[in-house]
Amino acid sequence: MSKITKSSTAEYFAKNLQQVGFSSPLKAVLTTLKEAVDNSLDACEQAGILPDLLIEVSKVGTGSTKNTDLIRIVVEDNGPGIEGEDLAKVYGEYLASSKFGRGQCSRGQQGIGISAATTWAQMTNARGVNVISKTKKMRKALAAQVDVDIKSNTGVLKNKETLDWDREHGTRVEFVLDGRIQLNGDGGIVTYIEGTILVNPHMTVTYKLMENDFVTVTRVSNEVPRIPEASLPHPHTFKLGEFITHATLFGKTTLSKFLKTGFSRISDQSIQDFVKKGLPKNLLEKPLTALTEEDFKKVFQAVQNTDLMAPSTKSVLTVGEEALSKSITRLGEIDFFAVVTRKPTICDFKPVVVEVALARFKDRNQSPDSPVTLLRFANRVPLQFDKSGCAITWAIESVNWKSYGLGQPKDSLPLGPYIFAVSIVSPFIKFKNASKETIDASEELVGEIRLALIQAGQKLSRHIKKEVKEADLERKLAHIEQFGPILVEGLARIINAPESRKKKAEEGLRKLLGRDSEEAMADLEAAESKLLEQKKREKKKGIDHDDIEEDVIRGEDLVEEALEPQGTKKTTTKKETTKKTTGKKK
Amino acid sequence: MAKLLSIRELKIDIPKEARILADKMLRDLEASKRPVLEAVKTSLDNSLYNAKVGYLTPGDKVVRTELNVSSVQKLARVVFVLEILLNNLDKGAVNTKRELYYMCKGLIKGNSRLKPLDFDDQPESDAIIDFIGDMLEVYREELNCFANDRGGQTYSQQLVVTETMPDGEKAVVDLSTLGTSPFQPKNKPQALKLKAKKKIDFCLIVESEGTANTLVTMGFTKRNNCIVMGAQGVPSNGVRGWSKLIQEELDVPMYFFGDLDAYTMQNIFRTLKAGSAASLIRNADFSAPNVKFLGVLPEDVKKYDLPHYKVKESDPAEARALKKAKDALENDPFFLDKKNKNLADILRWLIKEKIRCEQQSFFSVDPNDPIKTEKLILEKIKRGSYV
Repeated sequence: MSKITKSSTAEYFAKNLQQVGFSSPLKAVLTTLKEAVDNSLDACEQAGILPDLLIEVSKVGTGSTKNTDLIRIVVEDNGPGIEGEDLAKVYGEYLASSKFGRGQCSRGQQGIGISAATTWAQMTNARGVNVISKTKKMRKALAAQVDVDIKSNTGVLKNKETLDWDREHGTRVEFVLDGRIQLNGDGGIVTYIEGTILVNPHMTVTYKLMENDFVTVTRVSNEVPRIPEASLPHPHTFKLGEFITHATLFGKTTLSKFLKTGFSRISDQSIQDFVKKGLPKNLLEKPLTALTEEDFKKVFQAVQNTDLMAPSTKSVLTVGEEALSKSITRLGEIDFFAVVTRKPTICDFKPVVVEVALARFKDRNQSPDSPVTLLRFANRVPLQFDKSGCAITWAIESVNWKSYGLGQPKDSLPLGPYIFAVSIVSPFIKFKNASKETIDASEELVGEIRLALIQAGQKLSRHIKKEVKEADLERKLAHIEQFGPILVEGLARIINAPESRKKKAEEGLRKLLGRDSEEAMADLEAAESKLLEQKKREKKKGIDHDDIEEDVIRGEDLVEEALEPQGTKKTTTKKETTKKTTGKKK
Repeated sequence: MAKLLSIRELKIDIPKEARILADKMLRDLEASKRPVLEAVKTSLDNSLYNAKVGYLTPGDKVVRTELNVSSVQKLARVVFVLEILLNNLDKGAVNTKRELYYMCKGLIKGNSRLKPLDFDDQPESDAIIDFIGDMLEVYREELNCFANDRGGQTYSQQLVVTETMPDGEKAVVDLSTLGTSPFQPKNKPQALKLKAKKKIDFCLIVESEGTANTLVTMGFTKRNNCIVMGAQGVPSNGVRGWSKLIQEELDVPMYFFGDLDAYTMQNIFRTLKAGSAASLIRNADFSAPNVKFLGVLPEDVKKYDLPHYKVKESDPAEARALKKAKDALENDPFFLDKKNKNLADILRWLIKEKIRCEQQSFFSVDPNDPIKTEKLILEKIKRGSYV
């Protein structure tokens, strides 16, 4: 019989880095960047600091593995910094996390990502990560290289030194590893940074990618998101095995105390209800350690069969419509946008909140027939791979965007120079895989995302409708100008009519067609006022489209222009038109 | 210059009618009233059929085009093209639709103010020309606009055609002197007079011009006192007017020989016999209600064991023809009339069996006899095997 050996967590991950986002050179770069940025943002948030980030990604040579480049990734923040004794743990030890299983909406959860990045750098370039860190208490910054000791799953500090750093506190990490850089597209670094900018309105970031210049995007919100209290898990989200494991954390506590303190939504009343549903009463005051597996099963079944209050939604965090609406303008010049933050709700017994931002951009070099750019987020982290399996994509494809004025091939993403950003925040997001690339699509979750999209679609359609009506009016006015005189002249020639008849007919025609364009104008006005109402409502919520004044109807000016015969003074027709329009507005 | 030719006794004076119309439109405009143009609705739902009349006639539905911001382009185009047509009538000039399309282009090129009227392609200008015809209820030819008439190649040893030329001179064509070359009529039936040197027994109209020529080359017209005509697919106005003339002037039995399929029955034979919904105002002069459907009949397929094919429903054209056939049985007044029940039955049979059998399949019956098809046709006529 071969000898059974126990391998360390680090060994396991070192062999299975593809499971945590290192399945290709491309993903390796993106995942490393992502993990470093997540850590910085989480650290700043926890310390109540407005984050200032510096990101640099560049090619510094040829990689040691086939078809790769040697890539240098730097992420620097103004976070609280890391104490010397914690450096090795944070960067060199797997599952050493301050956040694991706490039921909070933080970006990172288990403490795998950054250690995996260190492992990748170490495996491909024989050096771990270079870290400089300084806390408020430290006079000088600490610099060191952190490696992972794979055999023992511990971090090892090398080349430790202190140095002067011109900032009060912060952390700077530098990875040099094998990988490849893709800037644009679904898996691109630019797409990642844009996404991060969108959902972090409180972040200022300066970045330099490859040979491009430094770009700085400043914050549009001065509020550090307040991370809600962690919430206890809801018993209905558990399976029997998990339930028993959870119990072991509580030692000799009695069953009734375990139920009340280990879960949310269990009260004395619920315990009585459990008993009614078959929980043996005599177990309640027994210590957990005295319970057999059979007992646990009975308890578990009784709990599952009892109706409980849905979990609290207090533990979720939102970016908010106001902040989103400001943040989206940081991605480029936009024509218009719509944002929706849904109320927190429960999907599959987990609190969830869905936020949607849709915007049409002026300058994204995107053809009108290509699908919209989709930005997906889970707990404010962009998801960039395997979009076809994601709940968000499913939800978008299930909405009929044609009714909101967008082109959409059957069962596909809609088309056009739009960004569709959908963010899901939940302390317990169910991912399809450990590398957190796709959100598992449950019916309830897809339904909730769909609702948010429909609301946003309706808002967006008011902007689009106004535009369509505007074009309609313009086309009609052009028609009058072009065809009216030709029609009258043709008729006059056929019957040899005198000039006086021709003039009179031209006037009559202008009157007639003026009435038509008034109808088109009324349509436009209706569309505009609907949009205006929406904008006013949104303004109360702090969403500013910046252009309310400019939006006041200009239709009548257009009509006047079109109806005015060239080279003559204003006619009575024109006066009438103006009067009528004004009348309608009242 | 005098009118080139007439197709019928026209009751209206086109230029005068057009001027009245233009004057009314101008007066409406002067009074800030919306001018309205009305034209006969040329569609199946406005088609009536009376077996005694024999062809599709218009109902009382009209297409109204009222001036508004959307229709101003169409009205401006109608007036623009009307002016060209009136000019042509005045000068006695004729043109095809394509020529008129280019004349429009030429005029627009010479006057930048007319630029918005420009036609992107010919169907746009054709639609305007057709609208003017329907509006004035006159034939396109009466507006001096002629189509390139396809088909109608005619062979006979007995037929003599006398054409009155625009200048009053007469041209006499004895078809027996043409050898195997056909006589091809233009669409000016009123200018033609027909005479039979000897009694003509029947007129055979063959869907395929190639097959008509084969029959003649093998001596069909030598052995029979008859007229043989190739239709060349859906009959053009030339073929339809010519068939009507033969029916009117010679009063001979007329038979149509073509494929057995839904398309031939509805589009080719029905148009020849009763006209079409698109040409409601002209069916009176452009249909030959006496024509009988000689075949291929469903019974022929069985009797002569003719090779035939399954209709491929995956083929969009064939699927469309079948769908149209079902539609015709429900909505086409021609097929709904009990006088044409036997023709409707053929359509029903085609829908049910989903097969098609071509006219040339008669050549499979005895491949060694070059005149077998002639024999079969004569036998069918003799037996009364037609619908």
